[in-house]
Amino acid sequence: MSSDRAALLSATFWEAGYQHLIETVHQRDALAHRHLDALQVAVYDPEGTTLGEKTIDPRKEVLDLSALVEEIAGAVPRAMVTLDARYDERVFPYRPHHYALLHRHGSETPPLYYAVNAVLGGVPDRIGATNINNFETYMFRRRSFAARYSLLLGNLARFAAAEAQVATYYGGQRVLVEAMLAPKSHCEIDLPSERTGLPLERVEVKALFRLASYVVGRRADTGDLVLFDHLFTYIK
Amino acid sequence: MIVLNNIESRFKTGFNKGPFGTSVVQYDARGDVVGRHDVELGDSTATAEVRLDAEGGGGGFATVAGARIFSDQYVTLSDGNAYTATHGRHEFIERYPRIVRVLLGLTGALAAAAGRTLPLFVKDQYLYLGAGFRSHLLVMNLSNVTNRIRVVVTGENVAGIERIVKLRPMGSSLLDVSQLGLASAEATTVVRARLEANAWFNLYVVGAGREDLAGLLSFMHVK
Repeated sequence: MSSDRAALLSATFWEAGYQHLIETVHQRDALAHRHLDALQVAVYDPEGTTLGEKTIDPRKEVLDLSALVEEIAGAVPRAMVTLDARYDERVFPYRPHHYALLHRHGSETPPLYYAVNAVLGGVPDRIGATNINNFETYMFRRRSFAARYSLLLGNLARFAAAEAQVATYYGGQRVLVEAMLAPKSHCEIDLPSERTGLPLERVEVKALFRLASYVVGRRADTGDLVLFDHLFTYIK
Repeated sequence: MIVLNNIESRFKTGFNKGPFGTSVVQYDARGDVVGRHDVELGDSTATAEVRLDAEGGGGGFATVAGARIFSDQYVTLSDGNAYTATHGRHEFIERYPRIVRVLLGLTGALAAAAGRTLPLFVKDQYLYLGAGFRSHLLVMNLSNVTNRIRVVVTGENVAGIERIVKLRPMGSSLLDVSQLGLASAEATTVVRARLEANAWFNLYVVGAGREDLAGLLSFMHVK
């Protein structure tokens, strides 16, 4: 793709059983002046193997991710999906995040609407971020709920493996889990909602460079997603 | 419930020592203040949960202010078993001087008579209507003037649907996608909503499941 355009590399995680619709441009105007210049989607299995790639018409407004994954990757239970976009900074003076809607088929729970994680990494000569953005935090309600929490992590680098340190906090207790992620690989790390009677308070992720990361919450009774949110970086 | 925190302060040299005072002001749909909560966070990893009670129907919003607290206060909705969450965003309230308020009031009333508004601020947002779910919009007037917001909904097989939503200063309104006359089919319908307003405003997307507004909701700030 052209390198004279601004770049945005984003990633999300897809799993079977959900309607997952991605808005290629969030604040799309009715006359479609705001559209990407190019968009390429790639699908990876947990080991980082490329399951398929596809160039998307950048004028397409909403992507049906389930149909797309099925088309280019076949039947897989879970995949990391990257969205490699190019845009004109004169059209988008800001970073044009993709937003998405996520709803489990037949579920009674509400759909979740979220901002697709803008990772930026993997295209070093076009990285726009000048600050450290690889230390992230997420906080939880301080009482136990009937929900299971986890962290989805993916490494978007082309060549470098990444070690992620995931620290969870329960009162004064800190529990550390480490994950080694090969290029394009991804994993789900459980975040127990309680430890020795203390509720999960927060999680922190540290890595050598920016990873794709989401905090996920599922209802204990049905498994339906109730939380699918990016973490926060505060070193700005 | 709002989960207040100032964890961002951990990384601000010279400003990472608590306590941190925060002030939450809750506004109802009419823009009236219906609650105030002053909370002190002991240190940079402390959190405090503030419950926002509501009387009757309708929406509303809350502002959070505090020294060097900018954003990322978590907002949660729970049915007692689980909760959905999003985060607030760094916002501002636009406060116009008196003469501007008068002028905006006059011109806004004239434009409204023609089914229009002064389109000083414009946002576009997709809306979803599917089998057993939909996305509504909480529209918030973040200014001290009456805000007339023209909503135009378009999409495939959708003739332009127009509404004028009039919000009092700091007022808000839930734009119910079910009330726009769109058919709820098995296939998910995606439509574009364009919102034009005469003063600063913002949106939250409100996700509703099979029980619609009577059930658990999700919500999400948008930029």
